Amino acid sequence: MNLTTANTAIVLDSTADFPDAAQRFANWRVVPLYVNFGTDSFRDGVDLTADRFYERLRASSQMPTTSQPTPGDFVACYAELAGYERILSLHLAANLSGTFQSAGTAAAELGDGRVRTIDTETASVGITLLALAIQRLLERGTTDVEVDELVERYKREHGLLFTVDTLEFLARGGRIGRAKAFAGELLHVKPILSIRQGEVIPVKRVRGARKAFQEFVDALESETKDDTALRIGIAHAAAPEKARELEKMVRDLRPRAQIDVQTMLGAVIGAHAGPGTVGFFWFTDS
Amino acid sequence: MSLNGDLAAVQMVVGSALASLEANRNRIDDLNVYPVPDGDTGTNLTMTVRSLAEAVDNTSAGSRESLARDVSRGALMGARGNSGVILSQIVRGAADVLGEASSATIDARAAAQALRGASDAAYRAVRRPVEGTMLSVIRELAEEAEARAPGRPPIGDLLVDLVRRGEAAVARTPDQLQVLRDAGVVDAGGAGLLELVRGIAAAVSGEALPEPPPADERPAIEAIHQELSRYRYCTVYVIEGRDLEREVMEEQLEKIGDSLLVVGDRNAIKVHVHTDDPGAALSIGSAVGTIDRVEIANMHEQTQQREERLLAAVPDPPTERATTGVVAVVAGEGNRRLFESLARDVGPVSIVEGGQTMNPSTSDLLAAVQALDSDEAVILPNNSNVLLAAEHAAANADRPVEVIAVGSIPGGLAAMVAFDGQRTAAENAAEMRDAVAAVDTGEVTIASRDVEMNGVSIRKGDWLGLYDGDPVAGGDSFDDVAGAVIERLLEQPRDLLTLLVGQDEPPLGALLDRISAAHPDVDVDVQQGGQPHYHLLLSAE
Repeated sequence: MNLTTANTAIVLDSTADFPDAAQRFANWRVVPLYVNFGTDSFRDGVDLTADRFYERLRASSQMPTTSQPTPGDFVACYAELAGYERILSLHLAANLSGTFQSAGTAAAELGDGRVRTIDTETASVGITLLALAIQRLLERGTTDVEVDELVERYKREHGLLFTVDTLEFLARGGRIGRAKAFAGELLHVKPILSIRQGEVIPVKRVRGARKAFQEFVDALESETKDDTALRIGIAHAAAPEKARELEKMVRDLRPRAQIDVQTMLGAVIGAHAGPGTVGFFWFTDS
Repeated sequence: MSLNGDLAAVQMVVGSALASLEANRNRIDDLNVYPVPDGDTGTNLTMTVRSLAEAVDNTSAGSRESLARDVSRGALMGARGNSGVILSQIVRGAADVLGEASSATIDARAAAQALRGASDAAYRAVRRPVEGTMLSVIRELAEEAEARAPGRPPIGDLLVDLVRRGEAAVARTPDQLQVLRDAGVVDAGGAGLLELVRGIAAAVSGEALPEPPPADERPAIEAIHQELSRYRYCTVYVIEGRDLEREVMEEQLEKIGDSLLVVGDRNAIKVHVHTDDPGAALSIGSAVGTIDRVEIANMHEQTQQREERLLAAVPDPPTERATTGVVAVVAGEGNRRLFESLARDVGPVSIVEGGQTMNPSTSDLLAAVQALDSDEAVILPNNSNVLLAAEHAAANADRPVEVIAVGSIPGGLAAMVAFDGQRTAAENAAEMRDAVAAVDTGEVTIASRDVEMNGVSIRKGDWLGLYDGDPVAGGDSFDDVAGAVIERLLEQPRDLLTLLVGQDEPPLGALLDRISAAHPDVDVDVQQGGQPHYHLLLSAE
């Protein structure tokens, strides 16, 4: 079957941090996760924008919790895409969230074989860069095999680094994994982290914001070449000045690269990483 | 009473099960450490059962079979979280059996079959079933019902036994699952399932639900609900005066911080504000009255302590035996703590007491290396007088050892930040040498004899400032000497200035004010090092 943007839809969950997906592409949809402050429950990116979330986080004495979409939420979204013969449903690493499982349960419930759920093994803009690469395949016409190959290559080759102001949020949300080793309770140590196969992993620790930034520079220089196929994503949690610095760095060092996404981390990812987080994502498409 | 399979009976049972769960929701949230310790199991289970209850309230099912279908769909569509999804499968397994049952009432045998169906469905839904969770609790409930069913007990009696068996199964979960044992809790999902059974039993017996036990107040949870502020200092004081104007004070304080609380009357006002500028907060008060009972707390420290407590509640990552450990020669209790904190969860460290006047011997260092639980080692001598002994120890050790030629404690700390116990000693050495090269260090001490420096003579007993080991300043003013060392350290653009305060603690107030005025962009980190001889050890990076 020839897959095109006319017959194939892409479904993301809100942790892809691409809230205007449906406005950008007619064949895209986003299913929101939930953010809860006490008994108030909000749909990520729908009832609660990223801006409002960080405001509320500052003002609230209660810390937010998050929960995955219900299978019913996914069933409703897939049903809305009845005109499409194929639905590629791309989700946050299954090791980090039950969202992928919930989507799978919904796909099985529909039982019509239209939906293929994909565990991206990554998070945030990492999911969106993959979806954009798939969309480029769809725009020229593609096959399931080609999509599979792209997904596998993406999992192997895409890179991401992020740094948080404190490991407290990752610890509280239970997503800290082996990065626990990087807790610098004293001396204001900044952890440089990544995600591999759905696990938050420690890469390096440094002291001071300038050195943390230098790690992003080093990664870009050692992992990529200046190429029009180089795709970059930048995301920040209420730290726009840090994101702008990264953007300038990319334009200086890799002028031919395309910055596909530059965005604020949404409420769910923000609740788990904390304000001040900056994420940097790269992938060289073919 | 007997239990009917009709709609009214199902509604009553579901309502009671939901009420039982709701009453225990917060307690179950607090138990949640597995699979992800995010404290939402009680909430997720409650949401899931609410969705099931709505489906039962809105059903137009005409037969028991279609009612069973609506019940399982309601649970599935509203399933929140991992625990909710597993519960939806338990409900489906039971509903499939009960929907097909032919007898009018649900007896012990039908209940046993339903629980078996529920248990099988739950196990099927999970890729790698783990004991000590909802799964083992539902399985034990099925086993209990199957054991009792041949005696044909009334359903009410069976449910009483099921509650008892469920309690035992939940209590056993910490024996089955390490993370529960470590956290000192029972499994949250299992506890939720038990509350549902308790609710069903209460509905059938017509007895009231027992009072839920009080929520367990563990420090980790208490810590979670603490307030976060983007400001650094929590500042509290009382102003006494005449005709104090609360609103005016509030307006002024609002501009410099948040979490503002200004209470009192025209003669006395209490102020609470989070701000980066406690001095300004105090001036606002002292401008209109006499201030008293001033408390200024550094909330970054509180944040650090909270992070520590939270991390203590997180199960440790699987520890493999370390490839590399560190031997560090350190003087001062505070410095020792800093080295140890940088090694925690990263790799083994062995601290050898020593420094300027107390040099450890080769055999001291060798013993420390061989005591490390690692295949290789790195030695941080942290003093040039210890370098040779370290090299001898390395040459005679039973394992590969790298010596980092670092001559100061702040330099050693910079190396320690780069430490990774899972890498080889050679890999660590490369990273550590880069880290040491990236910092400049300085010292402030008291001259032990007269010295001549750049034409200036420093008399014995004067303050002496060293930059990179060389004397650069001297005199009788601590602030001037330390200030001169700091100016040298900050000659090139720097991010972070670290001060390790010695055993003999000099007053730092004026010096810190001077630094923040001259170098507002540099973060200053003051730590109690506790080292002898050096009133101040410094580094800039």
